[in-house]
Amino acid sequence: MLKAILHRRDQRPTEANPPEAANPEARTRGRTLCVAHGLAAPGLRSTLALQAARAVLRLAFIGLAAMFVGELISGRANWPLLGAALASLILGSVIGLVADRAVANTEMKVANGLLEAARGALAAASTGDIQAMPLGTLIAGLQRYPQALAGLAVGHRLASIMLGLGPLLAATAIMVISWEAALALIVLTPVMIVFFVLIGGAIRSGAEAQEKAFGRLAAQFADRIRTLPTILGNHALTGERRKLGARLDTYASATMSVLRIAFLNTGIIDFFSSLSIAILAVFLGLGHLKLVSVPGFADLQLWQSLFILMIAPEYFAPFRRYAEQYHAKAEGLAAATALDALVLGPRPQSPAFESAIATRDLVDAASPLPRTGLVAITGPSGSGKSTLLRHLAGIGSAPSIQPDADERPEIAWCSTDIYVPEGTLGAAIAWGNASYCQTRLLPAAGTVGLLDEVLLPGGLDALIKAGGENLSGGQRLRIGLARALISGRAIFADEPTAKLDPANAAMVRHALVEAARSRLVLVATHDRNLALLAGTTIDLGVGNRQARERAA
Amino acid sequence: MIDSASPIVPETKTGSPEEPAQNKAPWRLALVLAFAALAGGILLTGVSVWFLGAVALAGLTPAALTFNFHVPAAFIRLFALTRTAAKYGERVVGHRAALTDQVLRRSTLFAAMASAPSVRKAGWQLGNQDRLADYLDDVEDVDYARLRVSLPSATLGIAIVLLVAATLWITPLAFVPILLLITANMVGARFLAKRATADLAAARESRQEASRLLGTAIQAVVPLQAERRWSPTLDEPFDGYANAQTRALVLRHWQALLDMLANSLAPCAMLSILVSAWLSGLRGEALLPPALLAFAWLATAEPVLGASKIVVAFVREKTARSALAQWNTPDGVTHKHVAERISSLTLDRLPRHAPDGRLIGKPISTTLKAGRPTVLHGASGCGKTSLLKQIAGWLDASDECVLGDGVELSVDARRAMICFCAHDATVLADTVRENLFAPHASDDELWRALDAVELQGRIRAAGGLDGWITQDVLSLGEAQRLNLARAWLSDRPVVLLDEPAEHLAVEQGKRILDALLQRLRQRIVILSSHDDLIPKGATAVRLQG
Repeated sequence: MLKAILHRRDQRPTEANPPEAANPEARTRGRTLCVAHGLAAPGLRSTLALQAARAVLRLAFIGLAAMFVGELISGRANWPLLGAALASLILGSVIGLVADRAVANTEMKVANGLLEAARGALAAASTGDIQAMPLGTLIAGLQRYPQALAGLAVGHRLASIMLGLGPLLAATAIMVISWEAALALIVLTPVMIVFFVLIGGAIRSGAEAQEKAFGRLAAQFADRIRTLPTILGNHALTGERRKLGARLDTYASATMSVLRIAFLNTGIIDFFSSLSIAILAVFLGLGHLKLVSVPGFADLQLWQSLFILMIAPEYFAPFRRYAEQYHAKAEGLAAATALDALVLGPRPQSPAFESAIATRDLVDAASPLPRTGLVAITGPSGSGKSTLLRHLAGIGSAPSIQPDADERPEIAWCSTDIYVPEGTLGAAIAWGNASYCQTRLLPAAGTVGLLDEVLLPGGLDALIKAGGENLSGGQRLRIGLARALISGRAIFADEPTAKLDPANAAMVRHALVEAARSRLVLVATHDRNLALLAGTTIDLGVGNRQARERAA
Repeated sequence: MIDSASPIVPETKTGSPEEPAQNKAPWRLALVLAFAALAGGILLTGVSVWFLGAVALAGLTPAALTFNFHVPAAFIRLFALTRTAAKYGERVVGHRAALTDQVLRRSTLFAAMASAPSVRKAGWQLGNQDRLADYLDDVEDVDYARLRVSLPSATLGIAIVLLVAATLWITPLAFVPILLLITANMVGARFLAKRATADLAAARESRQEASRLLGTAIQAVVPLQAERRWSPTLDEPFDGYANAQTRALVLRHWQALLDMLANSLAPCAMLSILVSAWLSGLRGEALLPPALLAFAWLATAEPVLGASKIVVAFVREKTARSALAQWNTPDGVTHKHVAERISSLTLDRLPRHAPDGRLIGKPISTTLKAGRPTVLHGASGCGKTSLLKQIAGWLDASDECVLGDGVELSVDARRAMICFCAHDATVLADTVRENLFAPHASDDELWRALDAVELQGRIRAAGGLDGWITQDVLSLGEAQRLNLARAWLSDRPVVLLDEPAEHLAVEQGKRILDALLQRLRQRIVILSSHDDLIPKGATAVRLQG
């Protein structure tokens, strides 16, 4: 049985490596970003259509309202026009609501899809890779990054498409009345863009110059909060507080100098949009007074000039909305990079891969394992006891290849890092075994001395906190052992007696020996008393040397 | 949005009593600028329309030739410039005020956190990246509350009150539909605030629950993968994340509804003013003031767009304040105490407590002398760390149970005289020099300390004493050695070392520990170890669980 697994593992280097090496470029381009855009694509078109409809209806309302007012002042109340304006307002509001909801829905689909992808990547990742992940950063990232990315892939994307579409719609509307006025607006645009480019460059160079010192300062508060106990233990509070104050100050003034330039961006749009109203109002006014006769601005009805005046700011509105999204873009891109690095991106070859090849010989030496009996893996610390145990369980730290489930032995793993759910001791022991009944739990818990535990009072009803934080390593291990005893599976135990006091260690040894009568019990241990009880011993002190010699 | 302004303004003033004195003047300036920007925008639109109407009517008569268009045109240009400049000024001044507040608040908050009892008790929760991220979100929500909530809602509130007053004066009839709309918006805002409170709390809870589960699962990845239970165990946490997303989505749907209501306020107000002016018999020139007012209302449409964001930011601030309040319970210990030299430390029937308060084993009685290090041995969970923390004054221990040279030591005194090297000591994002916490030591001394813990080469490579290091740069073993260098440099009479050889190779651990104990030979040193490590000349004490 084990041989079959090992054979598959032997083939891994040739099978699994070439495809990874073949398309490194596609992967470095940001897998997360591709996934996010892929997820956003189906919802994007309908959302965009809704947004465009809203923009058109908004223009329609403004135009119709301007016409109504123009005629009203000229002495004619055009009620159908008012009705049409109201209708477009109501319709626009409803479509706006639907559009907002559609954006929210699409963003959630993207976020959930990313979470699902992360889940898949985690589920498929090898033990070593998962252990190498920075746990806190991963969890904090899974809480935030999918949303940030959804904002980039949907919200920002829509704003950038509307940036092309919105001004075009406004210009078209104005063109119906006066193509000269529309032309004036369009001519203004490149001027504005030149400003954008100039200021954008200033922001970038300013930001780059400051980035290094800036990045350090940005996280100082978070870092000092994180390290508070260390600061207190070393009596450094006063100094750190003073330093923090000074650094926050520096950070604040540096931020201000970047913001001052960054706000110019929106300032320019405001300026052009205000200016367009002011210029148009005066030109149109002079036209009405017949003081100047610029073609397109003279001989207009009041409603026509009001129409132009009110639509003009709409020409600039999409620019502002886009500019306001600049931080959404930055956040989304940062999230994509971070998620790539954390879970979704390609993983560098695990350095454990070479040691895995060396371990293979050891695995050969160890197999076939007996169906029953106690087998001990011994050796000095660092000789690879745990690594061998993992390989024999089929979870080597090298890139994962999953042999068919039916070819693997059914294992119950027993170590100090087992999964302990929040709840009661009974539930923790029964976890994963569907048949939860007291008659089986009680003897198992008793065998490992968990029922008369002073530090965990309450028997099977003893409370276990989230993450098992009120458990010692020894208690966790014994819960794992009780669970393994009930499961009837082969027991793989990693240092089962290391963190126990002598009495409990003896109890655990006894339980393991008893269990070995009916099944395979494989232990990695440096406990000599336990090794002496084993029927078979794999001594890595010797094995490793042999392996090295063979490799040479 | 008057609706969001009314519930918010009174409540933002009732900050926690620890709130540092805020800088009022910049905020006042920001408010003035914000109002000037909004007024500029409103007047720009309104006066432009009035001007067009006036010239159009004048253009039909001979008055066209005498019409003074210079004054209104100048005003229009003035308003355009005011709007642009004031808007920019508002952004700059507002952000500067917010950042100044932030510096003040965070300094104060840091000091408050330092005196929170939970820092010293069990594992430091904010040492976890995900908890820390939540905490920082809360801090930021409060930091920017004025900028996101108070400032826009106050500005908008004032503008709407003025516009309502003008409406009552010019076209009182139009006030009825406007009042209805404002009421509807207020009800909507209140409803959204309630929903947001519930939804945000629920989303946060399921996010945190999911994170706990995922953390537990990842820490147990080896057993779970060996037992082929890894993938199903991931289901629950990821369902939790999805659930949190769903709650956030529901909230956004409600936000969209309020936005719709708010968006229709300005256009409806505009149309009702015009219609009521017409119906009350105003014609021609007389229609111009109502037209100005109507378009002034229309100009508020843009700022009103943010109504739902203001409400949500308001709710977030409230939630964040209450979440942060849990840290603001100082333990009543003052930290000013001169460290005295003592040569013996006696534990007199000290009852041993776990961090959660329950008793462990029998009370301990022993005398620890300078020059004779003590090693605490015992299986995991027998309370070695807790005992060290009790001695250090980090966990409860009554004063009469800990004596220095025969004299009772208060918690303050112990905290002042003890250097406590926790086993999960962290690396500050700072220079090596700052990380050693020895401001008075010479460079030479610092290098000797680094040499003693065998970090000299590593630190040289990382840029010397002024090289910048972070937690990620150092391996666990290197961080542990840096921590031991801190103990090496400490000038306190009592040094507690929790698992000093953890993460170190056996031989190296022994070497470094010997050097460290040699350096600290005049002091009282207590160390804990889960294996049977006994340095030269040390006394071993075995703790029973």
